[in-house]
Amino acid sequence: MTKLDNVTKGHPSTATGAPGPAVAVGSAEPRSIRRRRAFTVRRGATMVAFMAPAVLFVAVFIYYPMVSGSQMAFRNWNLNNLTDTAFVGFKNFQTIFADATFYTVLGNTVVWVVASIVPQFVIGFAIALFLRRTFPFRGLYQALIFFPWAISGFLIGILFRWMFNSEFGVINDLLSKAGIIHSPIPWLADPKTAMVAVIIANVWYGVTFFAIIILAALQSVPDEMLEAAALDGAGKARTLFQVIVPYIRITLSLTVLLRVIWIFNFPDIIYGMTGGGPANQTHIVTTWMIATTQRGDYGQASALGLIVVGLLVLFSIFFLTASREKKGDLS
Amino acid sequence: MKKRQVLSLVGIGLAAALALSGCSAPAESGGKVTLQMVESLTNPVRTKVLKGLLADFEKANPNIAVDLISPPTDQADQKIQQMLQSGSGVDVLEVRDITVGPFSTNGWLSDMSGQLKGWKGWGDLTDNAVKYAKNAKGKTYYVPYGFYGLSLFYRTDLVKAAGFDGPPASWSDLLHQATALQNPAKNQFGYAFRGGTNANSNVVVAIEAYVAKKLDHDNAFKLTNGKTIFSAPEAADALKTYFTLFSKASPPSSVAWGYPEMVQGFSSGSTAFLLQDPEVIATVGESDAITPAQWSTAPLLAGPSGIAVQPMATAGWGTAAKSTHKAEAAKLIEFLSEGKASTTFSQKNSLVPILKSAADSPFYKTGAWASYLTMTEHPDKYVSVVQPRDSAWWTEWIQKSDSEVQKVLIGQMTQKELLASWDAYWTDKWKQK
Repeated sequence: MTKLDNVTKGHPSTATGAPGPAVAVGSAEPRSIRRRRAFTVRRGATMVAFMAPAVLFVAVFIYYPMVSGSQMAFRNWNLNNLTDTAFVGFKNFQTIFADATFYTVLGNTVVWVVASIVPQFVIGFAIALFLRRTFPFRGLYQALIFFPWAISGFLIGILFRWMFNSEFGVINDLLSKAGIIHSPIPWLADPKTAMVAVIIANVWYGVTFFAIIILAALQSVPDEMLEAAALDGAGKARTLFQVIVPYIRITLSLTVLLRVIWIFNFPDIIYGMTGGGPANQTHIVTTWMIATTQRGDYGQASALGLIVVGLLVLFSIFFLTASREKKGDLS
Repeated sequence: MKKRQVLSLVGIGLAAALALSGCSAPAESGGKVTLQMVESLTNPVRTKVLKGLLADFEKANPNIAVDLISPPTDQADQKIQQMLQSGSGVDVLEVRDITVGPFSTNGWLSDMSGQLKGWKGWGDLTDNAVKYAKNAKGKTYYVPYGFYGLSLFYRTDLVKAAGFDGPPASWSDLLHQATALQNPAKNQFGYAFRGGTNANSNVVVAIEAYVAKKLDHDNAFKLTNGKTIFSAPEAADALKTYFTLFSKASPPSSVAWGYPEMVQGFSSGSTAFLLQDPEVIATVGESDAITPAQWSTAPLLAGPSGIAVQPMATAGWGTAAKSTHKAEAAKLIEFLSEGKASTTFSQKNSLVPILKSAADSPFYKTGAWASYLTMTEHPDKYVSVVQPRDSAWWTEWIQKSDSEVQKVLIGQMTQKELLASWDAYWTDKWKQK
């Protein structure tokens, strides 16, 4: 059985979309070969001893802060006055849900995620396809394209804040010199253009990630398969949509899922560019959470954090369920 | 095999001992005390000046060493909060007028009035410095190192070319002159409007100038009749002038302008007027776009009564409640608050000084500093007031008020609604208190 056979039977079994070892497909042989060793207390203790450092590390540095932070959500925890940190039940959640800004912020978050991820994906895919080909200085191009990913998001926010400045910014200057605009656009002063500006900055930043991951996935597509497609008379578009995309579909869906979570949780650019303004109109949930901590209200900020976790868990379940259904359809 | 196990155990023990010793702060060694000091409004130039002063202090006090911690400004107050909450790692800290309230409420600051009781430096401090060093209950949570106060930066050449005799003296003068100088086609604007972070501050300054005659000087958000300044009819006039300044005489993008854009706007020559703290004197002085002959500063703007109201902002040095070296900490704070050390710190950081003697210094009598001297010499015309910046809800107020100023600027709120909202907010807060 060749790799090509494996794929055409719909068994891409690794994260990058690369097929698993041919022997594992449709065969129970390895399990029968394996000899089960009896479980003893000594073996159990050894296993626990080996796992303990990792479990302890995760417990101390991840779960303890998480639980400790979560309990603040149910207390009156304000850094400006810690003399009374009484348990207040769901009061912090009620305050958030009663605030009209929360719903504006939630809407902004959806716009921020969707409007950022679609262009990031499309442009990132195009760049990956471009970089897959061999040409002089390809390594240099790759390095240049991947460079934004190495810059701090907050710094990018500050840089773009100046670039989008109406009077001193390079964007208006270029648009004006190109004859596209006749008077400067006050980008960050109007809620609509401010949202466009922060999304443009985020697209610039995030394209790189898609390009890196999709390029890695594309490099796992076997040349034989593309040659076979060419022999069968498939054009470039058909090869792309009916051979390459199905082959790397799992990578694509996992990348999209990861990016949705990251963009949702990515306040840096907005914080650096607009601080959530004008008039809270570019706040997303995480920038609003930062603003809440800045006024010392850690109780409400923790409640917002739990709401974010809840929303992302729901989204992930929905997304993974939808992806699984598609996988079933394919096979 | 056994030997290897023993060696491994010894190695682990050593590593643990080293790690634990690294975690603990070196407080005392051979009778020498090491003070941990943390600053908040960090910038590289200031840190350098401070380190120089600390070296002088260490020279004069061989038994005390000072370790200076300089977190980035943006996170500094949060870092200080964490250190104070954990109760270790800090003896002397920078306390700001906006942090003293929450820090002292949480019991994190030491009342230094005991240690500073016999301090000879008290007599050298200005009235303002003493006022801020002792709170309403007579407690000393910090000694100010200087003050930030507003003055009007203006373009002397543009004002003259437009046919005006001198800089504006009142808010209505400013509106008149700034409107005359506005020429967007040439990228020339009248006023560097603050619409972004801290936008509320200048709105409040304008309102205070308009209600100057009936203002409570110890709580400049209150009128002498006990109501908020936002409830006064004059507040509506102030807002009308102030927001017309935006619509007729400022860059449209200044809805989002914070400190850097305002200073850049003036330094680059785009705007003719700027209301800012004295630290900007040094920044504008370094500008390549405008020469020293093209700009100066004027005293703060007056309201219709001819009185200008100067809300003082300040910060200083305090001691952590859990410090085990309070006497040494007080000694350091005394050193930084008197004589050459204090003068050096305020001059190098462009601060209004805390020492009376500084008024005689040529530094504060010349150039852009002259307007500060004018204000100091005429305290009846330039009234210095205290805003309730130490309220526990101050940061909440800043967020709310900034957002509502922007709402007015983008047409989502009327000026009347803004005043009603601010009046209700402060009335409610004072009632709760």
